[in-house]
Amino acid sequence: MVDLTRRTFIKGSAAVAGGTLAAKRFLFGGFETVEPTNKLLLAQQIREDFVNTTCWIGKQDCGIVARRIDGRVVKLEGLDAHPKNKGTLCPKGVAQIAAVYDPQRVKTPLIRTNGKGGPGEFRAATWDEALELIASKVKPVLEEDPKLFLWQKGRSKAKVFYDTAFVKATGATKLGHGAYCSDAGYRALEYTLGTHAVLHPDFKHSKYILSWGWNITNAGGNKTCWITWPQQMLDAREKNGLKIVHLDPRLRSAGPFADKWVPIKPATDMAFALALCRELIALGHLDEPYLKTYTNSPELVGPDGLIVRGELPADAEEGDQPPALVWDLATGQAVPHAEAQDPALTGEFDVDGVPVKPAFQLFTEHVDPYTPEWASDITGIPADDIREIAAEFGENANIGASIVVDGVEIPYRPVGIMAYHMAQQELGFQTVRAMTMVSMLVGAPGAVGGQLSDFTWKIYKNYAKFENLKVEEGPYDFTLKNSKFFPINTGFPGIVAKVMQDPAKYEVEKLPKVAILHYVNPLTAFPSQKDFLDSYGKFEFVAVLSPWLSETADYFADVVLPTATMEKYEGPSSASDQYIDGKALRLPVMDPLFDSRGEIEIYIDLCEKLGVLYGEDGYIAQINKALPLEDEFALPLDEKPDVRDIFDRWSRMEGLEGGIEYFEKNGVWIKGEVAATKRYGYATDPPFKGALHRLYGESLLVAQRKQQELGADEVYWRDYTAFPTWRTPTFEQSPAEYDLTLISYHLVTHKQSRTSMIPLLTELSGKQRLDMNPETARRLGVGEGDEVVVESHNALTGETRQLRTVVALSEAFRPDVVGMPHHFGGWSPERNKGLGPSPNEIFYTGEGYMVCTADQSFHVKVRVLKG
Amino acid sequence: MTTETMTTKRELPQGIGRLSTGWIAFFAAMVAVTVVGLYAYFQQLGNGLIVTGLRDLGTGGGATWGLYVAYYVYFIGVSFAGITVAALIRIFKIEKLEPVARMGELLTVVSLILGALAILADLEHPWRAIVNLFEFGRPQSPFFGTFSMVIAGYLFASLVYLYVTSRRDAARLALQPSRFQGLYRFLAAGYEDTPEQRRIDRRATFWLAIAILPLLVIAHSTVGFVFGLQVGRPGWFGSLQAPGFVVLAGVSGIGNLIMLAAIVRWATKTEKRITVDAFAWLAKLLLGLLLVYLYFTAVEILTITYQASAAEQVLSDALLKGTYAWIFWGAIVSLVAAAVLLTWKALTRRWTIAAAVAAGILVNIGAVAKRYLIVVPSQTHGQLLPYPIGSYTPNWVEFAVVFGLFSLGAIMIGVFMKVFPIVPLEEAEQ
Amino acid sequence: MAKYAMAINLDRCQGCRACMEACKIENNTPQAVFWMYVFRTETGEFPDTKMSFMPRPCQHCNNPPCVKVCPVGARFRRGDGIVLTDADRCIGCRYCEVACPYGVNYYNWRTPTEAFAAYDVDFTDPEVEAVTGGVIPPYKNPDLDRPQGDEQRMTAGSAHSVGVMEKCTFCVHRVEKGLEPACAEVCPVHAIHFGDVEDPEGPLSTYLRERAGFQLLEELGTDPSVYYVGGGPPTAETREIERPLTEVQR
Ligand SMILES: Nc1nc2c(c(=O)[nH]1)N[C@H]1C(S)=C(S)[C@@H](COP(=O)(O)OP(=O)(O)OC[C@H]3O[C@@H](n4cnc5c(=O)[nH]c(N)nc54)[C@H](O)[C@@H]3O)O[C@H]1N2
Ligand SMILES: Nc1nc2c(c(=O)[nH]1)N[C@H]1C(S)=C(S)[C@@H](COP(=O)(O)OP(=O)(O)OC[C@H]3O[C@@H](n4cnc5c(=O)[nH]c(N)nc54)[C@H](O)[C@@H]3O)O[C@H]1N2
Ligand code: SF4
Ligand code: SF4
Ligand code: SF4
Ligand code: SF4
Ligand code: SF4
Ligand SMILES: [Mo]
Repeated sequence: MVDLTRRTFIKGSAAVAGGTLAAKRFLFGGFETVEPTNKLLLAQQIREDFVNTTCWIGKQDCGIVARRIDGRVVKLEGLDAHPKNKGTLCPKGVAQIAAVYDPQRVKTPLIRTNGKGGPGEFRAATWDEALELIASKVKPVLEEDPKLFLWQKGRSKAKVFYDTAFVKATGATKLGHGAYCSDAGYRALEYTLGTHAVLHPDFKHSKYILSWGWNITNAGGNKTCWITWPQQMLDAREKNGLKIVHLDPRLRSAGPFADKWVPIKPATDMAFALALCRELIALGHLDEPYLKTYTNSPELVGPDGLIVRGELPADAEEGDQPPALVWDLATGQAVPHAEAQDPALTGEFDVDGVPVKPAFQLFTEHVDPYTPEWASDITGIPADDIREIAAEFGENANIGASIVVDGVEIPYRPVGIMAYHMAQQELGFQTVRAMTMVSMLVGAPGAVGGQLSDFTWKIYKNYAKFENLKVEEGPYDFTLKNSKFFPINTGFPGIVAKVMQDPAKYEVEKLPKVAILHYVNPLTAFPSQKDFLDSYGKFEFVAVLSPWLSETADYFADVVLPTATMEKYEGPSSASDQYIDGKALRLPVMDPLFDSRGEIEIYIDLCEKLGVLYGEDGYIAQINKALPLEDEFALPLDEKPDVRDIFDRWSRMEGLEGGIEYFEKNGVWIKGEVAATKRYGYATDPPFKGALHRLYGESLLVAQRKQQELGADEVYWRDYTAFPTWRTPTFEQSPAEYDLTLISYHLVTHKQSRTSMIPLLTELSGKQRLDMNPETARRLGVGEGDEVVVESHNALTGETRQLRTVVALSEAFRPDVVGMPHHFGGWSPERNKGLGPSPNEIFYTGEGYMVCTADQSFHVKVRVLKG
Repeated sequence: MTTETMTTKRELPQGIGRLSTGWIAFFAAMVAVTVVGLYAYFQQLGNGLIVTGLRDLGTGGGATWGLYVAYYVYFIGVSFAGITVAALIRIFKIEKLEPVARMGELLTVVSLILGALAILADLEHPWRAIVNLFEFGRPQSPFFGTFSMVIAGYLFASLVYLYVTSRRDAARLALQPSRFQGLYRFLAAGYEDTPEQRRIDRRATFWLAIAILPLLVIAHSTVGFVFGLQVGRPGWFGSLQAPGFVVLAGVSGIGNLIMLAAIVRWATKTEKRITVDAFAWLAKLLLGLLLVYLYFTAVEILTITYQASAAEQVLSDALLKGTYAWIFWGAIVSLVAAAVLLTWKALTRRWTIAAAVAAGILVNIGAVAKRYLIVVPSQTHGQLLPYPIGSYTPNWVEFAVVFGLFSLGAIMIGVFMKVFPIVPLEEAEQ
Repeated sequence: MAKYAMAINLDRCQGCRACMEACKIENNTPQAVFWMYVFRTETGEFPDTKMSFMPRPCQHCNNPPCVKVCPVGARFRRGDGIVLTDADRCIGCRYCEVACPYGVNYYNWRTPTEAFAAYDVDFTDPEVEAVTGGVIPPYKNPDLDRPQGDEQRMTAGSAHSVGVMEKCTFCVHRVEKGLEPACAEVCPVHAIHFGDVEDPEGPLSTYLRERAGFQLLEELGTDPSVYYVGGGPPTAETREIERPLTEVQR
């Protein structure tokens, strides 16, 4: 047991050190440290140098300069040239230096010596032995059915090497954390606008944004980690007088930056968005040209809910849909959308004797009952506030205005929405769709100052796929892709955990046998802990790659491979802040500490042992394809590559003279400004890259019918509706004594469960707590710092779960809501014990607590009892 | 006259040189307490002040000055007594107090030493402190600059005074063969008690007394300035701080002297010498000072409750009805009780030693409490920025050191009593 | 001679505490010591709640009470306005600490070894020492061991000696090298500006001229060299939330 050996070693050396210290004390008292010591160092000549690298903690890989003294890293500072962080760092970025030196890192490969499902005992192994063992377990599965080899990752870096190349080389089933993040939002945007992202404004020109559950002062927002958006938001406030309306049950997320705080009840955002849509229509804040030309709003919908289509053109390709028809007011007849001069948005028409309406007419009718008064009851926000926000949003949109950027005239709509984790609610997919529609009504998507989504306007492959949702008959694979349960599904660990517990229920025949867990820690990072405890023991074999013994590794790993932290090559990562584009690489700040190694090297060796390194479809070939490396830059397929050399080739291939030395010298490669014609959907060629925005979700309705046909329960199909349709979320149906809603969020001083072992960060953030309004506390008879038990209730199964934590009071909190930061609840390494529990211990996953696209909701009803 | 003259008895007066079992028991007990104090102090010396209940104020949520500083202020206050009384005797020729003069002087010297030790106990590196104070001492700092000089001067003056006023007794004792004869000779240093010498002596002590009085006011005021000049701590800044310190010093000092006098009177069987009248005189002095102090306190309570700034409000709430209310009101009650008792005695003109001692005890309880309250609450509750309300509880190390200091003081006085007459000898030849 | 000052823009500060962390790493301060401290506060009642964030370094007062009270001249103010503690001279009386209205002083209650051990990280681990050469913390900054400035005095940045007072040094060792203080350098939203206020055309003077600001506890007459821009000073109603772990652990 490596643990034991290490401990005795420490004890031994501690005894010696302690003895010397005691003797010194006895002789000199505290004198030892009275004199500022180390004056010796003065005389000594020190060697100082700087290494450029990127942040290893956060998801936007901020540029970093590491200061080294005699090869030892003493400080990390922001790289000035990096557009994402512009010479700055967040607290995590600074503190990771302590993590690098953490003696509790896994120091050598470990092999389990006891049974799984509880605290692990391990023995130290050599890399060769550990990799050999993994290969011997994975190989037979690859031979049987590579899909039963699960490669699961969290927020991994260097996707090309792992997510793409390794998965392709082995044929593994890849499972992202995604659905625990904002995948429902990605799906909503892919579906609605075609972009692979959620929502953010064009800060440079924005004047009015709805900060919708955006954790401004702590976390990400769409697509970045932290620093970038706050910088842009502050600049916009100073330069454009940007006004921020903050919709969030707690004000802390916006801190002082909310011009107006809208303390909305959790998971009622769709109701709010629908009411905004209704008001915008009622007030006439409509960008008709945009709606008519770039959305399917004018398309005619028949009484069956399907879009009325014309004839397939002669040159149609296999699989093409016949063109959707609109009512052309210019000619008074139904014509294909593309051919209409003035498509009608409203009215009722007759096509071949069938009464049809433009989708927009249906939308108007659909949102008509969603009055501000109606929404007020649901959201807890006064109707007048809703009206006011709708009016301000509409007015600030400057409908009809345009502006010249980079010499191109582009519509100017300086209003937008910043939202990311709004996807994390039971109605998440449709909520984000409804929110997007708020922007669509005023023509803000893709406009200057308006609604952006991705950093450049690109159409993601799912846009086309979603035209026809696959809903097949069982049996299904264990991710339930294309199933009647979750027709939109990009892989969700929670569902895999559910399926592993009850495959028959989900019509699954084959469960995954072996797994590699890369950069992921389901046991503490994901809801719900219980589901992972109940399912991960079913793997025949689990290998975990991680610098620390994660909780998941502690309980379920057969083999743990110690990865390096900042001391490795990784990348390339995007350096774009959406205005300036660039690329960066993580360069090792030192040699890997202990016996750890960089992941790329590990996968190269593992692939060699698996026999999939060399040759045409081998890992090397996949790396060549994924990066890509072509022609003289391609890696030879029969030679084990050197990691630095891979990046050197890539750099040269990208045209950087000096190859990787360019990055060693400059840290980041700035490609230049992102052209307006790339960023703004209106300005791309063709506009919006040719995608028609889906106000009307016809294929959702079609999928719903198919689900029903295949006998799926209502829980699975009820939200597959063409327009976002409000219903009371499941969690609200818990009995009345569960009178509070639990929400969770991120702290600026931690990153998921990945940083909880850095005590410097814990020092800054404090331990776990239950945030609540003092009024709530008074009612419960508890005060600041009091211990309480939080008991959650599953409205569908009646199950209850409990955790214990302490109260923290804040007037910046809705009185009917309590909240807990994510990040805590770990027990490995040792020092994480005692920091408090994770809300993921009492959240639920599965039906009722998932989005219809197989994504997680982070809301549950709880009651709080005195501890 | 009739009592113990050295000519009739072969033994030294006032039990000097003879160890009674009672004294031995007392001495042993004091040594034991001192040893515990020393043990605690060595703990602190070895491991640092971290072993105490002291912590940083502000984010640290503690008090960085605690029991040590409170007792330092207290001890310095007690020193007020002796020299004042002695000086008053010289200046105003109050014969009745003559017998308590020396113990007053002794009390001053001992309490100044304890005060200095208390402050050394508060320093993690006493040696470094002493060395650096000598090398770099800054008079501008009320704490160690002005203060250490004044205190050092004060201590020096008090020692001189004690010596000068004791020389005659030494000279007289030196005439008689005894174990300490050599010591007495050394102390007498040629003094032969001639009328001329006596006259010079009288004049010297008179002028010394005149000189010491302002020194005394300055010394006690500077202790007040340690706090009173600090704008940054609610509860400290104020012009009443210095006079308040002087007066409370008097109160605690006289109170202590009364207690000491009662003990000495009993232990040395000098009932005839130290009369009830002497106690009455001391008690009246005490009452006078006490009334002034209570007036100051009333003004203080009024100021802190009437239109205080927000920060002062937090502090006064803590004092008047919060964390420190029991100490604050405890102090007020004991001071007022002493005042009532003394006033009653004064009005009925029926003084008793017991009443004076009771008042002495009460005012010292009050004084210790008030010293604690000036030092600690302004740190824990006197934040001008939104720091947390702090808390400080002295721990066993600090208590042990403080008790050790008390017992050290008792040892010093006890030993003094066994080598020198603590009550000046009577004018035998009269 | 330059006169150094800092401007902190409360209309930009996100309360992220990166400045606290950067200060801790740059100056190797041990557990529970915050030369830079960031208040996160709120006022008012739901739903009319307001929040604010306020970083608090040493104010480097031009009329510093801490310097006045120091019995041995260990606390001194340099000609360029930087107030420092000579760790070689400090006797640990903690008078500066009680005299400072801003609560910025931290006494070294523990030896560095003990203070870092309180983080529960065993930097004396032999395998770590193999890399770090045994220095504690492993990111120890050698600049701190040098005396600074014309006077060549120590600045309480170095060994964090037990029994000695310390506080923010305006990162004098960086300033001497022409660098910004670590907190200003790191701030993700550029809320902290540092420079010479004596130079009327310098960036800091210009920055301050263009914005309304205040000094903390102006009424006390300490005349801080730290100027706050935007926002406002804390009031009696200001409540602190989300306090860091400030307890000194052994
Ligand atoms: N410091 C730090 N930064 C991070 C991360 C981190 O862990 N730490 N993680 C990164 C990652 S992976 C991500 S995905 C992003 C996430 O970035 P964000 O989406 O900005 O992060 P969250 O902290 O989840 O913020 C969600 C906010 O929504 C609020 N909220 C909860 N429920 C509801 C609701 O029903 N309605 C509304 N309107 N609001 C609600 C919460 O109070 C919270 O303020 O952050 C990234 N950046
Ligand atoms: N209650 C609640 N739960 C949440 C959220 C929430 O807001 N509330 N947020 C969710 C979101 S947005 C996300 S993105 C997920 C994230 O969840 P995860 O992606 O699982 O993130 P971490 O918890 O940081 O886990 C990463 C694990 O990777 C390992 N690791 C760290 N560094 C490295 C490395 O360099 N190499 C390798 N190979 N491994 C490493 C460590 O073991 C660490 O535990 O959590 C989700 N969970
Ligand atoms: S914002 Fe994210 S990526 Fe940037 S330094 Fe902080 S943790 Fe690292
Ligand atoms: S680093 Fe900047 S934004 Fe963060 S708390 Fe400090 S001053 Fe505020
Ligand atoms: S803030 Fe305090 S420590 Fe700093 S200079 Fe002013 S008084 Fe001195
Ligand atoms: S603690 Fe040190 S710096 Fe502070 S006043 Fe005392 S001697 Fe001076
Ligand atoms: S100036 Fe330097 S020492 Fe002062 S708070 Fe900033 S980083 Fe810390
Ligand atoms: Mo995420």
